[in-house]
Amino acid sequence: MANVAGTAPAPGRAETGESRSGLRGLVAATEIDLRLFGMLVALAFILLAFNLLTDGRFFSPGNMVTLTVQAIPVAILATGMVLVIVSRNIDLSVGSVTGLIAMTYAALMTDWLPNALGMGADFPFRWLIALGIGIGLGAAIGAVQGFIIAYVGVPSFVVTLGGLLSIRGAIWYFSNGAAVTGLDPTFRLLGGGGRGSIGEMLTWGIGIVGCVAVVAALWNSRRQRRRFGFPVRPMWAELTLGALGCAAMLGLSWFANGNYLAPALAAEYAQQHGIVEPPGGLKVPAGYPLPIILLIGVTVVMAWIATRRRFGRYVYAYGGNPDAAELAGINTRFTILKTFMLMGVLAALSGAVVAARLNGATLDIGSSYELYVIAAAVVGGTSFAGGIGTIPGAVLGAFVMQALSYGLAFMGVNSPGQNVVAGIVLILAVAFDSWNRRRATS
Amino acid sequence: MTVETQTTGTTPLVEMRDIRVSFGGVHAVAGASVDLHEGEIVGLVGGNGAGKTTLMKTLSGAHPADSGEILVRGERTHITNPREAKSYGIETIYQTLALADNLDAPSNVFLGRELTQGVGSLDDSAMEDATRRVMGRLNPNFDNFKAPVVSLSGGQRQSVAIARAVQFNAKIMIMDEPTAALGPAETEQVRQLIRQLKQEGIGIFLISHDIHDVYDLSDRISVMYHGRIVDTVRKEDVDADAVLGMIILGKRPGEATQEELATLH
Amino acid sequence: MVMRKLAALLAVLALTLAACGGDGGAASDEPTAGGPDGTGAATGDCTVAVSWNNFQQPRWAATDQPNIRDVVEAAGGTYIDADANLSNEQQLTDISNLIGQGADVLILLAQDQNAVLPGLQEAKDNGIPVIAYDRLIEDEEVLYITFNNVGVGEAEATAILEAVPEGNYVLIKGDPGDPNASTFLPQGWDNAGLKEKVDAGEITVLNMSGENWPEDAGTYTEAWDTQTAQENMEAIIDAAVADGETIDAILAENDSTALGVVAALEAKNYGFPPLSGQDGDPANLNNVALGKQYVDVWKNSNELGKAAGQAAIQLCEATAMADIAIDVDESVAPLDGNSPTGFETPGGNTVQSIILQPTPITAEDLGQVFEAGWYASKEDICAGVTEDDPGWEPCQ
Repeated sequence: MANVAGTAPAPGRAETGESRSGLRGLVAATEIDLRLFGMLVALAFILLAFNLLTDGRFFSPGNMVTLTVQAIPVAILATGMVLVIVSRNIDLSVGSVTGLIAMTYAALMTDWLPNALGMGADFPFRWLIALGIGIGLGAAIGAVQGFIIAYVGVPSFVVTLGGLLSIRGAIWYFSNGAAVTGLDPTFRLLGGGGRGSIGEMLTWGIGIVGCVAVVAALWNSRRQRRRFGFPVRPMWAELTLGALGCAAMLGLSWFANGNYLAPALAAEYAQQHGIVEPPGGLKVPAGYPLPIILLIGVTVVMAWIATRRRFGRYVYAYGGNPDAAELAGINTRFTILKTFMLMGVLAALSGAVVAARLNGATLDIGSSYELYVIAAAVVGGTSFAGGIGTIPGAVLGAFVMQALSYGLAFMGVNSPGQNVVAGIVLILAVAFDSWNRRRATS
Repeated sequence: MTVETQTTGTTPLVEMRDIRVSFGGVHAVAGASVDLHEGEIVGLVGGNGAGKTTLMKTLSGAHPADSGEILVRGERTHITNPREAKSYGIETIYQTLALADNLDAPSNVFLGRELTQGVGSLDDSAMEDATRRVMGRLNPNFDNFKAPVVSLSGGQRQSVAIARAVQFNAKIMIMDEPTAALGPAETEQVRQLIRQLKQEGIGIFLISHDIHDVYDLSDRISVMYHGRIVDTVRKEDVDADAVLGMIILGKRPGEATQEELATLH
Repeated sequence: MVMRKLAALLAVLALTLAACGGDGGAASDEPTAGGPDGTGAATGDCTVAVSWNNFQQPRWAATDQPNIRDVVEAAGGTYIDADANLSNEQQLTDISNLIGQGADVLILLAQDQNAVLPGLQEAKDNGIPVIAYDRLIEDEEVLYITFNNVGVGEAEATAILEAVPEGNYVLIKGDPGDPNASTFLPQGWDNAGLKEKVDAGEITVLNMSGENWPEDAGTYTEAWDTQTAQENMEAIIDAAVADGETIDAILAENDSTALGVVAALEAKNYGFPPLSGQDGDPANLNNVALGKQYVDVWKNSNELGKAAGQAAIQLCEATAMADIAIDVDESVAPLDGNSPTGFETPGGNTVQSIILQPTPITAEDLGQVFEAGWYASKEDICAGVTEDDPGWEPCQ
């Protein structure tokens, strides 16, 4: 696979024939992305630290599921923000657009669909229609902003700042500022919780699919190299990576299955399945909540677009050298437009999760999201110089930031304290990244 | 003595007639005409702001001409963007190289013309393979196909830019200051390359500040001054001083006065 | 030629200024026409100006504003207003502009009681009486018209303590910069007996962030934001479950945070321990009917608006502050009668005040809300209510 610079240049990497001794050599042979791996280590470190500080109460499957679901709205947006920042733009309107679409879902399901279009509560797939309208709206807003940025030539900072203000203002008119609640039960499943989780069997299923995917990816990569006689990873490295990957996938499934249904739901489940509840209640694994499945899907698709599609390649090319992209005959304006449309669609998905979790929408949904999303992308390795950043990194960045705020809330630290820590972590992460890059290229 | 065409009877590979380009009120190119034959290297020289790069940009599609004609193999063309230029077999190596620094060599070689497989996904392995082969011809010692090109040396980056042109079977190449940022060893490497390409029948427009380079490599030399072609001469027919005079004074050797010539020394 | 044009321009400019000058621009120090010692008032030419701090919150447009305006216009006066959109600087500009537009009385909803003082001074300098609306301003010359914020807290806690006299409590507070959140409401909670019970060991607060009472008691929610409240509550629930503690009751200071608490409880399928709130937001009253929120302390701000409108008109007519009398529904009538009485502020000042009483609404009290013409319609409040829900009866 082409090495697009999501990683800092690593002049020491083992190429054909060259062998390095010891641990460096082993790591190099596996060719894992060191920066991404480093972020995983950082996340693990943070979770461990909180666990120690709370005498082991912190790190339980249920809590980790809570943390993950809280991180998802920002993580979904961060995948799109990577492409926007990589192509030397910024989207400050993501929070407002997410809020607008969340309010749209609420208005659609409580008012417009039943009252104006006669689609009552039992209209089939009403939740899907609402979701579709939301996605369309997101794409449309993205297209308008993208057009003004790419074709009219107004800087993205200005356009999306305007979007941030005007769209946030527009939300007020939906309900004169009041909260709107009462979504379709099926739509609410997108928010997770006990009902919105896929259960034990499917969670194992996802684990197995993940394991198969890892093995397939390794095998395919080997096959591609063989096609042209390129050097392949040593077999032991392939097997190790495959084993680790499978273990990780299955381990995550096992961990998620340690998240049990709340007593009330477990009782319901027992009743439905004719099981007699033992004293202390029935332990029914809830498994992965639906939002996590959505996040996995979004991450996989976005990463695929970024690395395996021409559109993604053009985004990175433009970010690396806009003139080179133009001279190569790339339709750069359309490419930029598409990055903003994509952002709008992701805002619709993020808004769906938020609205589902809240069972409605308030005036303030998504306010300040743009800051968290940009922070997530940047902590995950995206550079404002353009051309550099990865999708998985941004998702990890979102998790790192949320782990901090959830952990602090768990420990009883108030939100101003959470913000102080978040800001410091952001600066440290970027500083470390810059230092690392400079060290590698000097 | 001046000549308009090298060989009568053969259709030039490229003919540019009366090209005009202005920016606002400034005439960057004010009616320039040059031509190029197969297997020929035409050096394009002139002072800063003479219009060399702008003239070549009309051919490469980077900046279309306001008026004038460009004929490729006798056929009238209408080149308005880089893609169209490439469709005529015109490849350009820009002064800045036009490489995306964050992408690796194969991605740069195939930028805008990527190979795909399956459902239209990028076929990075095939692109790497093709790049290895073409780089093998140009720079056999190069082996860093995975690193972003920003971490390569000047000469290596130059060879990636040239590889891009070669990969797509350029018949006409425009090279803008190909050795300007290179050290002596790398300069020699590039010069070898240029000679090799000429052998293969490729026609090359070579823009350069370095008189000696131009002399060494070109068959003919076109001198530009304030947007016009002062003259196009065969290398054998003039010496470096005469060329210098044309560059600085904008006049043919026979037209410059004694005093003017004296100022050159 | 140029000089002629310049002279003509200057002449036009001068004429225009002269024409406008009669109205008394904002920079003028003279009392504007219709001031308390001026003419105009008796003929009904009374301009009442309102400086809002955050008109975006639904309540103001739905209740306070229409009532103030209706009372003023019924008395023959003129209503003007401006919104500061949560900005202190903007509020000072708004006050200047309102004065410039000829305000005779200023109803002021201070974004920040200290930052607004220059604006207050400007009104005083122009001889304009000021009504501090809903939020306290520490100045002995203003008339403070509000709901009893401490009383709101007291009503919240009284209802919850009655339902859950012993057990584990979670306290959810609002924005840490708002004195209502940090001082008045917690004071009301303590007045209802919260601190006593905590000290006696009958009640344990699960989310203490330190030892101090009340500063470290409970979790603040920046900007009173619903999503923030939801995330904080989810973490609190997780911590409680990890400790093996049950949550028996939740004191949330207002409805927007209470909404987030309900979302967290639903996400965790935790059930619905008794929960408090204030403001009577439609979504929350609906939750009360559905049994997800126990009590919503409703401030019938229709009456607050009326009271302010009436007081404004009387001030316009140069009534002395002590002689002002308001006429509001008895459900909200001030404990000390319908004329202003002295109120001891936290800053040690005595401010003439009209303090209306809030009405705690539990599911059985919903009828009161329906009858009062609240902006939350019966339809909104009763949406989805079934016969198992506490709001079933009143919703029939």
